[in-house]
Amino acid sequence: MMTTLIGRELLNNLMTFRFAAALLITLLLVVANTVVLIKDYEQRLKDYNTSVQTHHQEIREKETYSAGEVEVDRPPNPLSIFNVGLDKRLGNEIWIAHNNVPTLWEARMNASDNPYLNILSSIDIVFIFKVVLSLMALLFAYDALAGEREQGTLRLVLTHPVRRGHILLAKYISAMLCLLVPLLLSLLLAMILLTTTASISLGTDDFLRIGGIVLTSIAYLSVFYLIGLFISAVTQRTGTALMLAMFVWGALVLVYPNLILATIRSSDIPEAKAVSAFNEIKQVWDEFDRERKHFLATDAFPGEDPTFNINGMGFFYEHFPENRLTLLYLYNSMMTFGELDEKFEEEVPHAQNYFQFLIPSTIKTAERAWLIRKQALEDTLVQKSNMKRTLLKFSPVGMYDAATQAWAGTDLKGVRDFFDAVRQYRQTVIDYFYNKNAFASRKWFAADEGAADWRTLPTFSFKRSSVEINANRALPDLLLLLTMSLLLFMIIFLVFIKSEV
Amino acid sequence: MWHITKREIYDNLNSLRFALTAVLLLALMVTNAVKHLREQPKRVQRYQDAVTESSDRLTAHADDSLYKLAQYGPGNFYKKPSSLHFCANGGELVLPDTVKVDDPPVFMTDAEGNRLLEGIWSLSYPDANLQNKNVGPNVSQVDWAFIIGYILSLIALWFTFDAFSGEREQGTLRLMLANSIPRHTVLIGKFLGALLSVSIPFALAVLVNLLLISTANTVHLTPEAWGRLGIIFCLALLYTSLFVALGLLVSARVQQSAVSLMILLLTWVTFVVFMPSTLASIASSFSPAMSFDEFWQQRNPIQENLWEKYKEGLWSSELDDWKLRAKSEFYTENAEREERRQEEQLKYRASQVHRARAITSISPATLLQHLMEGFAGTGFERHLQFVENTQRYARQLREFVADTDRADPESLHILAVREGMSQKPISPESVPRFEDTLNLSRDFNTAATELLLLTLFVLVLLSGAYLAFVRVEV
Repeated sequence: MMTTLIGRELLNNLMTFRFAAALLITLLLVVANTVVLIKDYEQRLKDYNTSVQTHHQEIREKETYSAGEVEVDRPPNPLSIFNVGLDKRLGNEIWIAHNNVPTLWEARMNASDNPYLNILSSIDIVFIFKVVLSLMALLFAYDALAGEREQGTLRLVLTHPVRRGHILLAKYISAMLCLLVPLLLSLLLAMILLTTTASISLGTDDFLRIGGIVLTSIAYLSVFYLIGLFISAVTQRTGTALMLAMFVWGALVLVYPNLILATIRSSDIPEAKAVSAFNEIKQVWDEFDRERKHFLATDAFPGEDPTFNINGMGFFYEHFPENRLTLLYLYNSMMTFGELDEKFEEEVPHAQNYFQFLIPSTIKTAERAWLIRKQALEDTLVQKSNMKRTLLKFSPVGMYDAATQAWAGTDLKGVRDFFDAVRQYRQTVIDYFYNKNAFASRKWFAADEGAADWRTLPTFSFKRSSVEINANRALPDLLLLLTMSLLLFMIIFLVFIKSEV
Repeated sequence: MWHITKREIYDNLNSLRFALTAVLLLALMVTNAVKHLREQPKRVQRYQDAVTESSDRLTAHADDSLYKLAQYGPGNFYKKPSSLHFCANGGELVLPDTVKVDDPPVFMTDAEGNRLLEGIWSLSYPDANLQNKNVGPNVSQVDWAFIIGYILSLIALWFTFDAFSGEREQGTLRLMLANSIPRHTVLIGKFLGALLSVSIPFALAVLVNLLLISTANTVHLTPEAWGRLGIIFCLALLYTSLFVALGLLVSARVQQSAVSLMILLLTWVTFVVFMPSTLASIASSFSPAMSFDEFWQQRNPIQENLWEKYKEGLWSSELDDWKLRAKSEFYTENAEREERRQEEQLKYRASQVHRARAITSISPATLLQHLMEGFAGTGFERHLQFVENTQRYARQLREFVADTDRADPESLHILAVREGMSQKPISPESVPRFEDTLNLSRDFNTAATELLLLTLFVLVLLSGAYLAFVRVEV
């Protein structure tokens, strides 16, 4: 019986104009955009490679250790083609130095980017699905019950010994099967395009992630189909059902996400918490500065001159740059000379002595400041954006977006993985300095007796998190979508059982 | 005709969709107004604080000496926030709101830190600094451009999809045409009826929005702003009539209203949602894939080495006229070169954006977005205008410095060098001040093509609807 019902529904759905239109539009949009997105990804990859090479070269040209500020780059995520998330938006280039523990707020954009192009809206495959598939699902659902009721066929079917639940289930299964055709077919074409592109290499993990995205898309489709079915079950006429369905679609997809975010205050003025954290960080550095000055005043070369009167071709600077918005405050200094005149030879050991004290102390202070800063940034910036994300999840669109971003690894957590790796790499660089005894060496500030040695400096590489972690991050939203489907189905069942035909 | 229009309006007024539309538009417009009232005072405050700081800097330099003014220039320039920010946000986060005046570079100091060789100020164009600090979700703003561009167009389709097909289904169309009414009258009546029924809730929502904004004493709207608002309202009507015409066209051609709505929705999704972003991506990937540095090196194969050119003069031991002139030329040329480089980069990037914007103009939604930005005084064109204003002012200030120096008999009239210039303080009131102005007629000129294109779209669709309806069998 079930199969007869499903077969009938399938035929009914497949032979319609809307099915043809849905298929055509989805295929057209996905293929056209995939081509563009792949090109965009290739461009970003090229920029990334050039940038890595430049940075690699730059650091090796530095003659002293103190001039060696290592720059690392964030590779573009190939799955950003599916959901771009924060991949293009957050900085992709960051400096590593002993005086600061880097956070994503210090990251910059690659020099080759044109920042003004960001005013144009961008697109990804999930965005297409988000808009088109939900529309399709509603269009397939609005007349499923109301239409049959209008035509009287529902009464006819129910004269047979068929359970009402079975009718609902048959409708659901067949419509989902129909809706899967454009989804899977367009994804298949996208995958063919992706795998035939030489510059994109997808591993097994990536295919699993894409599988996760497909699964989430199906759950999303199901929620919207059931919303449509619910509307169809409670309305008497197809006209009303269609109108209501359109309204619900506009409200959930277009209006709600924008409206809800507009009601939240944007934070451009630091709160009390951020201000006090900033002051705390400043105190930590002030304390460091006092110790530094004390050291200078009481060492064998009394005075407050951190250059010890050493001068030559090169430069010296020290200052405390600050940014209250990102709670950045640190001691920034550099002393680097190519050649040293012989008359300074007497002062060199003093300088070495000073830097041997100064740099480890800077590292320690930077780490102390980081502990304060981490918590405060989390409280002020990250939590606020997470609250926005949670609010967005009151619409299935928000859940779908969040889950697919998590699968692709372009969500905030995925991008932050990179910065965790950067912080680890900073530790490696500092260890390298310690191994080379760089702080106490003359090469810290002068290159006259040989330049700094960068040959064995470990290179930075970033591996995206494993697919299990992606799955863990995506599962809550995926489960929410599935639960919502189940709930909706149960409600529709109850409504349908009680309704008169 | 008026009977038909009236009938249409009455029909619509009682319907569910009218109520839903009114509620939806009201909610959006009230949110828009509340958000604007919350943010605009902060924005204006920030701007005024920044401008005061810049102005204080300028005054301090002028009080010091003419040379100091020539060397350090004015303070940074800030873009004046538009009072119609709620109409079109215009990529506020992406566009920078300042043009910087760079401090003079220091080329060489002696052991005591005295500056032996320095330069003069130059303009530079920084990127927006907030852009990669925003970790929140990326959603468009609820401004009028969004409400009109997306919501109102959808509503227009919602009101017209069954205009003919619905009546045909019910048989009332045949009844109506049985009377001696020409078909074009029916069409125009339907068109006006639908346009008015969409406009009524929209006008209502706009009224509430403007009432909220104009009665608040934290923000002010000048008469010119009201004029611009009038233009924007007319734009909204023009844009809505485009979609009303589209709805009538499809509705006349298609037998079933459900199919009609489906076609309309798919068209809408394609033109309003996908066209702008897809075409923008295509356009930006078409633009030359080279970094700006490459571009710059191509343009200037021989980077003349200023240092080499003026070396003799700069190293001459005597402080004579020759050395001063060499210094002056070195400083001026260095600043000019730096400024030119910055300007070229901005131009290069702007041309990329312009190309992309031109291609996306096929979509009426983008056209509307551009027009709204243009008349609200936000967005990319406005940013370029601000940059132009600062450049004009920079020239004006440099001329002023030269003129003032000429008036001082004690000065050697060698600009940009301490020893060659007037050291007298000047009255800060006499120094020209920067003013960031908006020009309505200029906005009209830049918008003209887009306005014409939008009107053309409307006319084409209307005549299409006419042809379709005249030939259709009832």
